Amino acid sequence: MPTIQIKMKDLENLLGRSVTISELADRLPLVKGEIKGYDKTSGELKLELNDTNRPDLWCVEGVARQIKTHRLKTAVPYPFYNGKRKAAAVIEAAPSLKMIRPYIGACIARGLTIDNETLVQLIQTQEKLSESFGRKRLLVSIGLYRLAKIVFPVTYKTVRPDEVRFVPLGFESPMTLRTILEKHPKGMAYAGILSKAAEYPLLVDRENKILSFPPIINSREVGEVQVGDRDLFVEVTGTDLRMVILTVNILAANLADRGAEITPVEVRYPYLTDFGRKVVMPLVLSKPMTVPLHDFRSALGEPVKMTGAVSVLKAYGYDAKARGRNLTVSVPAYRDDLLHPVDVVEDFAISRGYESFVPEMPSEFTVGGLSSIEQFSDRVRESVIGMGFQEVISNILTNPDESVARMNLPASSGYGDLVTVENVMSQTYSALRNGIIPSLLRVEAVSSKSFYPHRIFEAGETAITDAKSPEGTRTVLKLAALIAHPAANFSELHSGLDLLMYYLGRAYQLEPVVHPSFLDGRVGKIVVEGRNVGLTGELHPQVLENWQIAMPCAVFELSLDDLVL
Amino acid sequence: MSQEITQLLSGLHPLERKVLSTLKVRPILWDHELMQETGLDESRLSMALGWLMTKGVVKVADEKATTFVSITELGKKYREHGMPEKRILNDIQLGKKLTIKDLRERSDMDPSEVSTAIGNLRSKDHEIVRVGQGGLLELTGIPLPDSIEHALPLLLAMLASSSGPMNQLELLDESKHLLNDILEKKWKTRGVVRQHEKKSKRLALTDLGYELVKRLTSEVVSEEAVSQLTPELLKDGAWLGKSFRKYNIGLKPSRMATGRKHPYREFLDSVKTKLVSMGFEEMRGPLVESEFWNSDALFMPQFHPARDIHDVYFVDHPKSVRSLPEPHTSQVAKTHETGWKTGSRGWRYAFDIERAKRLVLRSQGTSVSARTLAASPRIPGKYFSIARCFRYDLVDATHAPDFFQVEGIALGETITFRTLLGLLKLFATEMAHATEVKYLPAYFPYTEPSVEMHVRHPSASGGLGWMELGGAGLFRPEVTHPLGVKVPVIAWGLGLDRMAMVALGIQDIRDLFSSDLDLIRTKRSRG
Repeated sequence: MPTIQIKMKDLENLLGRSVTISELADRLPLVKGEIKGYDKTSGELKLELNDTNRPDLWCVEGVARQIKTHRLKTAVPYPFYNGKRKAAAVIEAAPSLKMIRPYIGACIARGLTIDNETLVQLIQTQEKLSESFGRKRLLVSIGLYRLAKIVFPVTYKTVRPDEVRFVPLGFESPMTLRTILEKHPKGMAYAGILSKAAEYPLLVDRENKILSFPPIINSREVGEVQVGDRDLFVEVTGTDLRMVILTVNILAANLADRGAEITPVEVRYPYLTDFGRKVVMPLVLSKPMTVPLHDFRSALGEPVKMTGAVSVLKAYGYDAKARGRNLTVSVPAYRDDLLHPVDVVEDFAISRGYESFVPEMPSEFTVGGLSSIEQFSDRVRESVIGMGFQEVISNILTNPDESVARMNLPASSGYGDLVTVENVMSQTYSALRNGIIPSLLRVEAVSSKSFYPHRIFEAGETAITDAKSPEGTRTVLKLAALIAHPAANFSELHSGLDLLMYYLGRAYQLEPVVHPSFLDGRVGKIVVEGRNVGLTGELHPQVLENWQIAMPCAVFELSLDDLVL
Repeated sequence: MSQEITQLLSGLHPLERKVLSTLKVRPILWDHELMQETGLDESRLSMALGWLMTKGVVKVADEKATTFVSITELGKKYREHGMPEKRILNDIQLGKKLTIKDLRERSDMDPSEVSTAIGNLRSKDHEIVRVGQGGLLELTGIPLPDSIEHALPLLLAMLASSSGPMNQLELLDESKHLLNDILEKKWKTRGVVRQHEKKSKRLALTDLGYELVKRLTSEVVSEEAVSQLTPELLKDGAWLGKSFRKYNIGLKPSRMATGRKHPYREFLDSVKTKLVSMGFEEMRGPLVESEFWNSDALFMPQFHPARDIHDVYFVDHPKSVRSLPEPHTSQVAKTHETGWKTGSRGWRYAFDIERAKRLVLRSQGTSVSARTLAASPRIPGKYFSIARCFRYDLVDATHAPDFFQVEGIALGETITFRTLLGLLKLFATEMAHATEVKYLPAYFPYTEPSVEMHVRHPSASGGLGWMELGGAGLFRPEVTHPLGVKVPVIAWGLGLDRMAMVALGIQDIRDLFSSDLDLIRTKRSRG
């Protein structure tokens, strides 16, 4: 979730009025925002914006715009969205980009006053949009330039890695594109995006002056915006044209909010795009959506009048018109998040205020209950507790060392039926437990200071691979119990197992088995109606040694899924 | 004073008398000497000393710790075959062409051994081996540290030839140094040797003790007081006329090992009971989920950032499910691409069925709700699950490697945004005993409208602060229709771990899953 740092003063300038911190807190539900920090003296404010589908709200301009819209009860107008303004400049895209980074969009902003705070906010927005929305610049990246340095038309083309050199931001001397990817911090950070490309994107003007190496770094000469600059060229490249256009639209609105005059830029593609061969941006993306008035009533649980729907939606920035029993609505060009009429219904509810809806209890009668396995597990737990065992709850993520090596099981078996993790973060958590005994031994290993005897158990989930099932794995509910004290042995625990099986009404046999985790001759399979449901025995001293446990331990483990009727 | 002594005397246990009469002769003794003199075994002696110390008769005059060192199985293996570092180095010196991958595939060493050895050989400040052309390992010329080359083999040899654990003081200086500086940090964690401490205590009489033992002689113990009433004494009336030794009932009793629910389980069980009483039926799902159920069925596009390798654990073995259920899969796929018949425009991308088959560790309990929707649920119906979930987060005080999520659904013809708010209000009062509730707009990929519920709770942040209790919303038609459900569905989730931590007085979420038996045994559960 994006978090932004802004200044209260800047927010107030954009709102056009002063606002207290508690007034602001009351308005923030409009943008699904939360105050995460406020420094009264510096006026610095930290906001978290929770709507990952509304990148237009991840900046102070967007937050102010939504709040202002609600106050004015109508959208803030942006004349450059209506498509009537002529493009002031042209970008020519080269055919070779099609397989590398096919799309570009741009606009020109004139007459800004770039002060320190504006610059900070521009950079923050650029960062949020390219990192979060643009997936670390893969889908979208942004470049800002000093307009005066550029002679149009600009060409978006590709060059070989060593073909050109320029001075990138943050450096003093010229570098080739290859060197930038190898040496420049931004180059190293984003080189992955171009790892499959034989040629790299480049933006140059009519005089072959290099603007930037998208999506990596700007040229220092043209692309270092400074306090005091007034006219900017804003460019967005990417792999998804819809996202590129939306980004241009958002940036254009933000700059306009700060007093800039926006003029569109035309991009000429040598290939066909979803928006044609000539695309002039900013550009309205969304088509109007039809929402039956009835949808509001059925989703919200109370009648909504047509006039009410229109005015409440307008106060959230919509263009809304009544068409019989339907509404035709559209959102401003800085939004592209309407998938379904329910999205409009939510915006209606937010605009009206969630507090304006009276909670109502669901009235339909339903019967509650537990699953049969949970009931069975509860019964088993109660029996085992009655026998004097302390319950433990362990994490399910574990590792092959605990599940296999320490249990004296051969590692050559490829960890048997263990479900292992691919993107391991820590070796400690690299597999799911396939049994509960290691979880109990983990308790023993750290609890030698707790007074003996130890009688502990856990009833919990485990996972195993299962090549036969269509799902590939199975979750099995198991129970394991352990005793540890100087005289702990097979027969003491056998008494417990015997009593448990008696109470559960399951006839069982113990059949001798050889198992490397246990002392030979002191371990048995637990067999119920010919099915193997678990095992019990005295743990092998080598296993105890592996866990650094200095107390004899006997355990049993049962699969509750196999025992439940 | 004298009255106190008389009282003490009459309450002395035979074991205490034994200890005191020994101390009367030799007032300061080490515990092992005392054991010898009294002839008591360790546990009886410590019992008697415990009593005497609570009575203030005996005190600990001195204490010393002795460290013993012994060799482990792994240590013996290293002694026989050599340290992994040394063996790898030998192989390179012999001219073998080895890459790191070759080393990892060695059958005679564990993968973890190999990783540690490589780590030590390539450590930044002491690079003994580097990766050269073609990934081949080559020597830098820096020799192995002396500790691995000489000191450790020497120590292992000594320990192996000793019949039992060795007193650390008796080791060679070189070995002692190794133990102090290196063993603690490196070798012990590798399990090569084991150290344990034994504490000896020197016991002495207190002033009160001196007074007591003086009287111990003069007081004639004429008749042995009975300490335990037995069936025999009762059978033939032999108890008549006997005197029974008086107990010191002010002593702290020994602790009792009992059977008990885990305090966190007690909390979860109460949640379970509460939900059942509100008419919710339990639903269950697997720990390992296909991405289909974990995300696709919830209308989270396959490019959604919460689905990447930095947020979800992907399963290495096995990689994928073999098949996915129909017609749900095709319907979900079409909904993602174009909206299908849901009235949505869809996410506009090419749905990848192989991606949907990929297995992950369940990252949200909502996947259980999705499965329930697809399995012809009751209408009207209410369901819940307490599901273990996994998130790709660094484990710390606020992140456990896996944790419980309490989630559920309510479905029916009459479900609306207002009944959603009503249900949340019920949760707030019933589950959190909240005094006030606030509903805020929220964002979840699978619900619209979405709500976050904040409650004012007596125990939240120092009294009457607001805390987030949970999130909820109406499932998007893009979720319900492809799974065959046509009525509105409330999806809700409660963040109960924070409530559990408040209830159990725990600050670190990892303590909910602690392995420390003492902590589990002593944790009181508060209602």
